[in-house]
Amino acid sequence: MDLSRRDVMKAQAAAAAAAAANVALPAQAQNINVGDELRLKWDKAPCRFCGTGCGVMVGVKDGRVVATHGDMRAEVNRGLNCVKGYFLSKIMYGADRLTRPLMRMRNGRFDKEGELQPVSWDAAFDTMAAHWKKILREKGPEAIGMFGSGQWTMFEGYAASKLMRAGFRSNNLDPNARHCMASAAVTFIRTFGSDEPMGCYDDFENADAFVLWGSNMAEMHPILWTRITDRRLSREHVRIHTLSTYEHRTTDLSDAGLIFKPGSDLAILNYIANHIIRTGAVNREFVEKHVNFRLANTDIGYGLRPDHTLELRAQHANDAAVSHASDFDAYARLMSEYTLDRAHELSGVPKSQLEALARLYADPKTKVMSLWTMGFNQHVRGVWANHMIYNIHLLTGKISEPGNGPFSLTGQPSACGTAREVGCFAHRLPADMQVANPDHRKLVEEIWKLPSGLLPAKVGYHAVQQDRMLKDGKLNAYWIMCNNNLQTAPNTNNETYPGYRNPANLIVCSDPYPTVTAMAADIVLPTAMWVEKEGAYGNAERRTQFWRQLVDAPGEARSDLWQLMEFSKRFTTDEVWPAEILAASPEYRGKTLFDVIFRNGQVDSFPLSELSPAHNNQEAKHFGFYVQKGIWEEYIRCGAGHGHDYAPFDTYHEARGLRWPFVDGKETRWRYREGHDPYVEKGSGIQFYGNPDKRANLIGAPYEPPAETPDADYDMWLVTGRVLEHWHSGSMTLRVPELYKAFPGAVLFMHPEDAQRRGLHRGQEVRIVSRRGEIRSRVEIRGRNRMPRGVVFVPFFDASQLINKVTLDATDPISKQTDYKKCAVKIVALTTPASAPRPTAPDVRGAPR
Amino acid sequence: MPEEFHISSLVVHCRRELAPSIAGRIGEMPGMEVHGGVEEGKLIVTLETVTESEIVERLNVVQLINGVLAATLVFHQFDKPAQPNLTAGNA
Repeated sequence: MDLSRRDVMKAQAAAAAAAAANVALPAQAQNINVGDELRLKWDKAPCRFCGTGCGVMVGVKDGRVVATHGDMRAEVNRGLNCVKGYFLSKIMYGADRLTRPLMRMRNGRFDKEGELQPVSWDAAFDTMAAHWKKILREKGPEAIGMFGSGQWTMFEGYAASKLMRAGFRSNNLDPNARHCMASAAVTFIRTFGSDEPMGCYDDFENADAFVLWGSNMAEMHPILWTRITDRRLSREHVRIHTLSTYEHRTTDLSDAGLIFKPGSDLAILNYIANHIIRTGAVNREFVEKHVNFRLANTDIGYGLRPDHTLELRAQHANDAAVSHASDFDAYARLMSEYTLDRAHELSGVPKSQLEALARLYADPKTKVMSLWTMGFNQHVRGVWANHMIYNIHLLTGKISEPGNGPFSLTGQPSACGTAREVGCFAHRLPADMQVANPDHRKLVEEIWKLPSGLLPAKVGYHAVQQDRMLKDGKLNAYWIMCNNNLQTAPNTNNETYPGYRNPANLIVCSDPYPTVTAMAADIVLPTAMWVEKEGAYGNAERRTQFWRQLVDAPGEARSDLWQLMEFSKRFTTDEVWPAEILAASPEYRGKTLFDVIFRNGQVDSFPLSELSPAHNNQEAKHFGFYVQKGIWEEYIRCGAGHGHDYAPFDTYHEARGLRWPFVDGKETRWRYREGHDPYVEKGSGIQFYGNPDKRANLIGAPYEPPAETPDADYDMWLVTGRVLEHWHSGSMTLRVPELYKAFPGAVLFMHPEDAQRRGLHRGQEVRIVSRRGEIRSRVEIRGRNRMPRGVVFVPFFDASQLINKVTLDATDPISKQTDYKKCAVKIVALTTPASAPRPTAPDVRGAPR
Repeated sequence: MPEEFHISSLVVHCRRELAPSIAGRIGEMPGMEVHGGVEEGKLIVTLETVTESEIVERLNVVQLINGVLAATLVFHQFDKPAQPNLTAGNA
């Protein structure tokens, strides 16, 4: 390598950074000609990792991804990239990548007690299909289930939803997104009648104050944090307030860091509402015109099994979701209980900090953007917490306009696009439609060209319920795609793993890597990932982004889309649909599920000639038609004309993502606001048109305590979460050696005095014990997260230290989302290795190396 | 193993009043160069390293400098001079 070329590369690197930062450099540094000399082929793609939806440029050479950089033309990240995105080029090339189907075999045939051995796709699918048919015959559709993903492409989620609901006639389809944003999704619908935020990332450049509720954005959403930082630096008056249960990078960098006791955020939120009411800061005109007041049922339990004491004791465990029409005065009375003294007492936050925060929201001249992720959502009162933040924004009218609004961030790249918009939840159909609503089912049956009455009306099992039903033997044919549930589900040892090993069940797992979940399955299907297939993701700000297949998957690995479609060929309507439906619509007889779902004259209506000549498309070439385009054009009919309009397929391959509703060639940045949203009628100013009366529902609720609080036996709060370098459960990021090295094993963060009182020192091995299980870890009293006394934090990505053996499977009773943030544990020194109990099942043969 | 080298760049957001001293400190680190952005509080920095893990290490060091609000990567290019056929990730 000659020196001059190295200098050219450096000049290019500097110019790229300067362009991204909008900083002027001397002229000689501005010549960007990326990759030219390396003969790389560059294409756009959204990042594979989080819900931010950064655009990256992917450089391919000789059929392999060899480089990535932030896409300067992407509005989300404007050329920036975080550490995870930076090494995207490596996630596909881990040494243990799965390239052939595996099946548990003994004596040359399938045996649940056998060892995983390589088999052909036909052998794997034949075994699966035989079991699926047997279960359908013996127990019916309710014993079939699928656990999907917010990392599926939108095409994959759509194909899965059709296969499960229309093919097998089961709504037992739920995404891992249940664990990360069900509370947000449910509350958007309860409040506004339409899922997903009203605002968008453009709010970052318009707000005067940012309030981060439990979010460590500097580490978890670094690119969006950079946009907040930019705003803070460029406007002297801008302030950042961050609430958390412990100190971290974001509280350090904020103007105010409020450390509260787990679960007491509810009291703080209601105190702010009370402050707004008491000081006359309610925007009366807005409230009268646009808001309905309701009060929630209280004492609603903790979403545990129905025979749990806490559920038997709760007054409204069975009608937790119900709320009652009320008025402003009744709501104000409820809020009046949340005085500054009470909020301080419950939360432990200094009164001066609470008052400063409340004043921010109350001041009509301060535009406030509220942001949250798992802190609100993984909460036994997650739906209430989401309501309470909307309540504050609705009381003040600070919503649906540039710089003002509540904004729910997401963790997965297509939690919004796939899990929510396409409708991969047990209760949802595409475009906010619900399986329990007969009109919605009828419309979807028409669009999907299905016989009338085919779609099942009964809401399926949600994620945690699926685990319970597998264990109880009521769910027997189970396909896990694109997620690592055994590592991420709560209380895994008692509620998840037993169901996988239940002899009555066949567990299939599709994954690119031998995760803990894959290694516990009976059949493992090797999966194509990210740019090994054509895809679409939807990010947190309603932005839909497409990408092309840029490289081929290794070996026999195939996309989830291919797997779903290919599997559907093995069933005929006569085998799986009721006789009376076929009698009424005999034209469907004798067809395969592939014929009625994918070869229906719509999904198969675009020929191969429409493919990009410069790119491969494995699925299209295998099935003989442009699968992704056909799915898209059928799918977008579901939302057209009622607030969920998308652009035509080809538009997305050109654009750097577009935010829906996309009407008359224009995206929508602020929903519900006249002048920004084409659905709002002229002269009305604001219309929350997701609800029939076009008003938002402000639903008041009290503070209620967590399901489990520390006591004499288990005296510490346990909080779990992520660290920057790892995303999801680490199944991809732990394959990138640099990321693994940066934070190799989970540690237990605790306060130095808590450690001292137990005679523990930094680095010492300890047992973290709850009523459900225990793991070992090492004490960290310094480092990047600083705990208050009484609270410990453990990241959840490390497969050799499955913290979810310890967590509680309590959920929000309304959203069914798990609370990973609060349970009681004790920390015990590990004296001698021999005296400690040996870890039992689940084994961790799939532990990343 | 043939020698590998990496060129990357980052934007370092810092408190404006501290930007000159932060730029000075970064400029003294081996393989790092500040190209501009001191006035704006957004330093344009390039990095020359032998391995990728060094990039992560340097980034962590920069992030922890007093007055730094965010350090974000933008560009990454690497080469193995002896081997024209590049492969990433067989690590």
